Amino acid sequence: MNITRRPALAALLAAPALSGVSRAQGQPLKLGVPTAMTGTWAALGAQVVRSCRLWAKTVNAEGGLLGRPVEFLFEDTQGVPANCLRKAQEMVERDRVNILLGLMASSEALAVMPKLADWNALFISSVNGAGSITAEAWVPNAFRANTSGPMGARALALWLRNSPQTNFFSLSLDYAWGRSSVETFEGLLTGIGKRSIGSVFAPVGTRDYSSFITRIRQANPQALYIALTGDDGTAFLRQAAQYRLFERMPVVTETVDMLFTRPAGDAAIGLVGGSRYSFAYDHPANNAFVARFRAEYNELPDTYDGEQWQALEVLRAAVLKAGATDTPSVVAALRDLQLNSIKGPLKIRGCDGQAEQQGFVVRVARREGFPVPAPEVIATFTAAEVTPACRASNFS
Amino acid sequence: MDPLALFTLQVLNALSLSALLFFIALGLTLIFGIMRVVNFAHGAVFMLGAYCGVAAQTATGSFAASLLAAPLAGAALGLAFERSALSRLYAREHSAFLLVTFGLALALTEAIRLIWGADARQTELPAVLAGIVFVMDEPFPVYRLLLIGAGGLCWLLCWLGLQRTRLGLLLRAASQNPTMTAALGNDVGRVRAMVFALACALAALGGALAAPLLSASLGLGSNVIIDAFVIVMIGGMGSFIGTVAGSLLVGFAQTFGNFYVPELALGMTYALMITVLVLRPGGLFGRPE
Repeated sequence: MNITRRPALAALLAAPALSGVSRAQGQPLKLGVPTAMTGTWAALGAQVVRSCRLWAKTVNAEGGLLGRPVEFLFEDTQGVPANCLRKAQEMVERDRVNILLGLMASSEALAVMPKLADWNALFISSVNGAGSITAEAWVPNAFRANTSGPMGARALALWLRNSPQTNFFSLSLDYAWGRSSVETFEGLLTGIGKRSIGSVFAPVGTRDYSSFITRIRQANPQALYIALTGDDGTAFLRQAAQYRLFERMPVVTETVDMLFTRPAGDAAIGLVGGSRYSFAYDHPANNAFVARFRAEYNELPDTYDGEQWQALEVLRAAVLKAGATDTPSVVAALRDLQLNSIKGPLKIRGCDGQAEQQGFVVRVARREGFPVPAPEVIATFTAAEVTPACRASNFS
Repeated sequence: MDPLALFTLQVLNALSLSALLFFIALGLTLIFGIMRVVNFAHGAVFMLGAYCGVAAQTATGSFAASLLAAPLAGAALGLAFERSALSRLYAREHSAFLLVTFGLALALTEAIRLIWGADARQTELPAVLAGIVFVMDEPFPVYRLLLIGAGGLCWLLCWLGLQRTRLGLLLRAASQNPTMTAALGNDVGRVRAMVFALACALAALGGALAAPLLSASLGLGSNVIIDAFVIVMIGGMGSFIGTVAGSLLVGFAQTFGNFYVPELALGMTYALMITVLVLRPGGLFGRPE
């Protein structure tokens, strides 16, 4: 088969409705978003969905993408890989979708990625953090616009290297993510010449953290690392503040997310952590996005509002560069695509689809003009400092 | 940290947790003791109390208002539910109560989601309660002392009420033999309605007291109801003194368990329950049924 004809042929076979631009003029461009709308990650899924809606509204008001209106198809996966795989397949086969976005759990993305080639579809991650997505599990049709877990942890480690504290204690939830977060953190500490003096794992659903607070005080570390989410994290922050724990030691966490810090109120003040996205990034592109978001929803965009928006801007740039929406053209355009995103300069590197971008460390503080304590950027690292080598998920 | 100070802190921590658990377990045991109903909605009422408390404090700016509004809302809900639904079911078999109270739990949770949304709600404590006292040179929150005091006061008032008032006499009578109590000219239906309303008020008050520690969130109800059931099983279904003992046992087991063996702490509560039930199948202070 002639190489130059292959993309066009593949597109014709896959999705007649989406193939030639001239023929499909005016037909809506359908984008598939199988995401968690109920269940554990419902709050994050809600961010993904509202950002997609705002983007569709914005793009359609400007005349659409390549003259075609964009339309999102949302399906609830509850964060379960088997559901996600089924919903994604339905979108591809029944609705002729060839672009998938907004998958919630890394396990869902890892379930869908091996199928992309068969489906002749592509996937741009906005949420999935697992290092393997751009390493051992990488496939040519998958891209990651967001900051990965290892990249977030790297930024935090670079910041801690310069901190005066040398010994740390960790508190985390007793399940897979919490344990791996502490393990990664303890590895990072060793790498920067600091030391872990112990850790404790609280059962998921712990409400009274007083015993854990006593345990931390007894260990008396110079700083505390926490990997807690949701109601557990809120309960801990509130109670630790009541025991004045934060006056004795700074507290750092993997990712500062407003879903976690907002319910804690003043108790979250002083919390330092990595950040995948924050409204507090002071770039013209971000300030414009925040203003648009606030005008629409009367709320500040949170982590996955921003990450989803960035993924959609990556898609827009790729489609405009390709001048088409079929899978091979967009995949080719995504390789080494460069744009100025809401997080600053961004480049989708060709070798593994990871977006090279800046890394941020933020601190929660009381800020003028905000009703609740909000993050502010305390350190920014270049893409070269925080991005692992090609198809690697660590920095060895 | 000095071992004695550590132990004292942990005892205070355990007492404050026991006090919180007591509010919800007491209502559960009252309802069971007098009405022979296992109220699956009790956790949801606790959660409603937390939300009502936060809403009242947000509206008025007063934490005291939240401690007033929550039990009132709980009592009103309890009364309405007992009169409209439960009172029609006493003649039926017990599975009907399970379904109806479980249904109420689901409906309440959804109603809370509709009214207040899926995000957690919270308020800040007033300055006087947000302070700390030093216990053997270690800071301890004033608010936890208030919880211990509130739990103790609730225990004292309920004990006096049950043992020293005419209403208490009626409650004990209705618990032991409702038919005879009715035959003596007492309105057992009214007693049941009052008990259910009182129990819901206690749970809602517990929720309002828990809100400053936990914030009002949708998972709150299902979480505490399990501990409350364990307490009632340990103490003996329907036993007042058993509920006090059960709350203390579970509070201490969780607090000390989380400190020494955090990985096994959840299991410890159940191990405690199993041990008690093997040795005394009716619970510590219950009658075998």
